[in-house]
Parts: sequence; structure tokens; C-alpha cells
Amino acid sequence: MSGIVIYLPPGSGGTAAAEPDGDGAVTLRLGPGEVARFGRGSATTPVELRLVDDAISRLAGEIRVTDDHWQLSNLSATHSYLVENPEGAGEYLRVPPRRAGAPIPFEFSRVVLPTRRDTTVSFQVFAPDHVYLDPDGLGGAGGQWGGRTVTAYSLDETATYFLVLVALCEPRLRDESPVAVPTTPQIVERLRDHAACGRLTARAVSSHIDYLAEEKMRVVPPPEQDPGRGARRNGKRESIVGLALRFGLVREEHLALLPPRSGTSPRNEPTGGGEGARPGRHIGK
Amino acid sequence: MHGPADTSGSDCAELLAPGYRVGNWEVTEPIAAGGWGTVYAGRAAGEDRPATRDTVALKFLPTSGLAPRQARNVVDTARREVELGRRAGHPRLIRLLDSVVLSEPDHPFLDGALVLVMERARRSLRDLLHAGPVSEAEGARLITEICEGLAHLHRTGWVHGDLKPDNILLMADGSVRLSDFGLAAELTGTHGTHGYAPPMGTFDYLPPERWKAPLGEHGVQVRPSADIWALGIVIHEVFTAGAPPFPGATPMARGAAVQEYADGRAPLRLDPAVPPFWRELAADCLAPSHAARAAHTAESLLARVTARPQTREGLPAGRRRRAVRAALVCALLCGTATASAPHGARDDVPPLGGAGRIRVFNAEPTCTTRTDRDPDCSLGLAIDPQRPYTADNVVPTRVWQGDELAVDCLLAHGIPIIDERDAWSPQWFRVRLPAGSPRPTAWLPAVRTKDRPRVPACPVPASGR
Repeated sequence: MSGIVIYLPPGSGGTAAAEPDGDGAVTLRLGPGEVARFGRGSATTPVELRLVDDAISRLAGEIRVTDDHWQLSNLSATHSYLVENPEGAGEYLRVPPRRAGAPIPFEFSRVVLPTRRDTTVSFQVFAPDHVYLDPDGLGGAGGQWGGRTVTAYSLDETATYFLVLVALCEPRLRDESPVAVPTTPQIVERLRDHAACGRLTARAVSSHIDYLAEEKMRVVPPPEQDPGRGARRNGKRESIVGLALRFGLVREEHLALLPPRSGTSPRNEPTGGGEGARPGRHIGK
Repeated sequence: MHGPADTSGSDCAELLAPGYRVGNWEVTEPIAAGGWGTVYAGRAAGEDRPATRDTVALKFLPTSGLAPRQARNVVDTARREVELGRRAGHPRLIRLLDSVVLSEPDHPFLDGALVLVMERARRSLRDLLHAGPVSEAEGARLITEICEGLAHLHRTGWVHGDLKPDNILLMADGSVRLSDFGLAAELTGTHGTHGYAPPMGTFDYLPPERWKAPLGEHGVQVRPSADIWALGIVIHEVFTAGAPPFPGATPMARGAAVQEYADGRAPLRLDPAVPPFWRELAADCLAPSHAARAAHTAESLLARVTARPQTREGLPAGRRRRAVRAALVCALLCGTATASAPHGARDDVPPLGGAGRIRVFNAEPTCTTRTDRDPDCSLGLAIDPQRPYTADNVVPTRVWQGDELAVDCLLAHGIPIIDERDAWSPQWFRVRLPAGSPRPTAWLPAVRTKDRPRVPACPVPASGR
């Protein structure tokens, strides 16, 4: 349980407590049990996450990390807040005024606060600690999964980051070696026909790769790898692919998650799975 | 070798019929099924062996239906078990008797499966804890024996990696065996400080630093201090009928509580049911960082356990036994124990005679050159060389580096002993004890001398006393 990451995009605020990135964005990390307050703030009402809008209370709410998720307290007397799941096909939660400690189940969340104008103020919260059981650990055992030996780096196989990971691993899984790990434009192209990823941008792919490397797998690139060749990004990608394959995080059966390959190579996928296997994922934004 | 938590009736496991042959072994009944495979009870096949002896556990690790990379993981797991069993055998580790690769072209599920043949335990510590709390004396014995196994593993350069009550097995006589070395890591690097294991574990036993550990190309870095953390959890569980020390309804909640504690935002609150000595020991094992925990090695913990003050019934017999145990442990484990051995042999040298002579060799470097007969450098002589070399199986007479002993004969196959320099031998010498000793003879492990006199083979002693 390493906690959560809060990301406030540029132009929404900033505070002394959080380190503004170069572009004015704010990133806050909270460990289990830690709390961050958000709101307009003032000298007498300090907040960790400052949101600059007149319609937002000085102390608008509170985020508390609990177990592998987080809780949102709405300290406004009048406004509901929305917590959207950007990958959930419009899935969202409404947290009513004065609700204390509403548990938020999403790995990715966008917290949206209303303003007086047509716009909203929002920030993102990532909860990378969510645990997924190993496929062979399901069923039986009377629910006693707690004592099991499990993979300690678990991935949501319905998340976009997982699709990106499968696409990264695809050439090696299909034994088209020796081949380089696909580039970001190649990933975008590969996922273009996927219902949920048609509008996936190169920037989004890079973010997913960074999220995988830094928050999910906590990849350490192999040391002293020919620094002359530059391409640090490639080092990171190759590390991700190598680790995902070596430790079975991505397996042959996951190729079925990818859209059929167009062009010269005929569809060449194992049976099972297929497009209909995961209905939730195909309603894209 | 998982406990009941893994008895899941996993649908990938086709059960084998009793009588199924695996090499020189045959299946008798299923014991448990888990994600990694199925464990059966078995026995040595063939009519010349009595059916009552040689009950073993057969751990089947199927590889069929797995992608090549997954099959490789299974093979890696088995390889670790075999490697560890071969190189780090010890009375406190479950003994690997055999490993077999099945060739069953007609049965795709079985073809290529790996079978590990192991000593059969009666139950796991988890089963025992489910049955209710254990007494302080019993808990003390269990923890001592767990420490013995762990100290040996660490000394021979391995980290267990998945220590928990499900993997701590109890034999029919109640003695402890550590098992399930599928995640064991061999210590590497120039200083042998750490190894690498697959990124797996059991949440309730992971040290706080593991939640943030990076994943490198060889896996996740593990150090002996990870086992020490798990030992702290186990000590707490032993005295609380299995209740974990950290609060929370789920492993994730408890994992978060571990993190809060490690970050200094929550104190350690151990159950008052844990007796004071053991509470202090558990708290040291649960030091929040690797650096703070590194001060407490399995050997130093074992020395503390064996030298602990007796809290009640200060009977001379009990005290004597404890002292002997402390000295023996130090003899086995580098002489870190601090208790003295009042029943040591002082300066009396055993009378000579017998078929040959050997000089005692103490492989512990700090003892090899000492001549002051320090109790910490004394070595124990076994009563029965075929039973574990533990405190209840040694005579009061102690011996030291350089002592000359009279030898009657050599036993080729006793309990194998590994010394502090990793010399290994199952051979034992029967040696004469000084006149007036309660027994005329006792047994010295062959690793405790460099001499190999020509002496007759000993008749196999009747087991038991």
C-alpha cells in the first residue's frame, strides 16, 4: 500500500505545500492514513490543494487515504461534487453536500467541483494500490484469499493502461523476435480500431506508459545499458515489456484483448476471449 | 505445501487415483490443491517396503496447458525448491527426498508435470493456531524451532521469502519444519546482502518496504530482514491464535496500517496476550525499516530466545536443560549464545581407548583458535545420531576444539549436519564419554573433526532412547 497521487492540472491553483511542477501543475502524494484538504484556502484556513475559483469554499473538502482506496468528504453545505471514472464509460459518483468519508472505488478518478460559470474545476486522483487476485486464485477457499501468496504487482486487465501494455508486448508474445518494442505512434495505430481507444492520443499512451512504469510496476531500468545509445524512453519501455513477460503479468491469452490486426498479417490469435468477453470496456469516451 | 487456505478444489486439478506411480513412489490420497498444483500423500512403492513407513508428500506442479513462459515459472519454482533442498538441508527444513518429471504422453494434463517428493508433515502451524491458543511453553518451543530453521537458511545464503504459518509445518512429533521454498531467494552480490525473488508474496507478511519496492529485471530485491519481519508477525500470531498484529478487516487494510506504522504515523500496538518477552522480540522483528531490523538477525534472535530468563518454575532440571540447549545452539550456530554451560566437561578429557582417535574441530572461526574452553565455543554430543541434533538429544558432556576423543566406529547415514563453513556430512562417530558419565558413549558429527581414522562401521542404532 503506497498511497495515492493527486494531480491538479495547470491553471487551477497551486499551494506552498505541494510542489508546483514547471508548468504550474501540482502533484501530491499521500500515504495510507494521510489527509489532504482542498478549497480556496486562506491564511486562517490552510489547504494542501488550492483551487482558485470564487465559487469554491475556503475549505471545500478533504481526501483521506484508506486501505487501498480513498475517501472524499464534501465540506460544502450546498454543492454536490462529482467523481468521474475517465475509463468507466460515463461511470461516476455523486457525493452530496456534507457527506463525510465517501469511499471512492475507482483507480482513476476526476473530482469535479461546480463553479458559477459554465466551467468546472477538477483534479485527478490515482489509486494504484488496487489489488487484483491471480486468475488461479479465484473460487473456493471460502473467501480466504487473504492468506494466499499472490502477485504483488497487480494490474487491471480492463484498464487502458493494460491494453497499452499488451500492445507493447505483442511482438514478443507473437514471437516476432528479434523486434524492437513498438513506438508510441505504433501503439496509437495498433489500438485505433479498438472501441475504447479510437481517440487515444500519443500523449495519452505516453502517460499510460509512465503510469505503468512509475506507479504500477515501479520499474527500475537495468543499470549501465549503453548510455551512448540515448533513447531513455526506449529503456523504460523495454524494461516494462521484459518484466511483464518474465513475471507473467501479460500472457498469450491477453492478445485477444487487442483489435484484429489489419493489413498484411492475417488475424492470428488464440481462441477464447475475443471482443465480446469484456462488455464493460467497449463503451468509449 | 499450502495449508487449508488453498484447498480450493481448483477445477484445473484432475485428481489422481490412489496407487498412481511416480518414480519410486505411489500416490495414496490427495491432501490439498492450490494455485500452483496439488499435494498428495504418498509412500514408497514396492513390496519390500513396509506400508506404514515412508509416508511422503507428493507435490504435483503441472506444466501442461501453460504458455511456455508460465511453464518456465513453474520450473523456476521447482528449481528453487530442489536447489535449496540439495544445498541447505537441515533438520528444521522440510526434506526434499526426490524430484520426478512425469512422462505421460497419453495424459496431457500430467505430461511434463514436475513432482517434488517431500517429508510428510502432520499439519501446518496455521492448522494448529486455528485450533486455539498455545501455551507459552509450547509457543516458545515453536518459535525457537522456527528461528533455528531461519537462522540456518540465512547462514547458508537463502531468504525464505514467504514465511507464514501455512508454510511452517509440524511433524507427527510436533517438531517444526519450514517449507515451501518456491519464492526463496539466494543471496547474491559481493556482500551476499540480498537476493531477487519473483514479485509475489502474502500481503499480511510483507515488510513495509516491499509495498514500495521497485521491480527490476531479476524480480524484486529481498533481504533476510524481510523474513525477520514475517517472523515478527508469526510470533504475534502464535500467542494470539492467529490474530495479526496490525488492525484492519482485510489484508489491504492491514497493509495500509503497516505503512502508517512504518511512516511513523501510528504506533505498534501488539496484543497484550503476547507474553512480555515475546512481545519485545516481536517488536524488534517488526522494526519499521530494513536498517532498524537488520540489527536483529535470525541468529541473534535465536540466541536471545535460548538465553531468555525462565519466568516460572525455576527447577534445576529445567535450568540445566535450557543451558544445554543454549550451548548447543551456539555450537550449531556460530556461538552467539550467551548462557554458560554449567554441566560442561570442564577439563576432564575423555579416557582413551576404542578403535581410533579424532581431534575435535570447531568450524566457527572465533572458536577455532580459542583454547580457554569458553562455553560459547563448546560443542554438543548427540544421544541419537538419527534424530534431530537438538537440545533434548545431547548428553551433558561438552567438547571443545582440539579435544582428543576415542572413537569406536563410524555411522554412514545419520542426520546430515552442516557446519559453520558449510561442510556437510551425514556421518557420525561414536565416541567414548568420561568414566562416570550417565552413558558410556555419544555421537559426534563427522563435520566436527578433520580426522578420518579407519574404524569399523557402527551397527545402526535402534532409534529412540
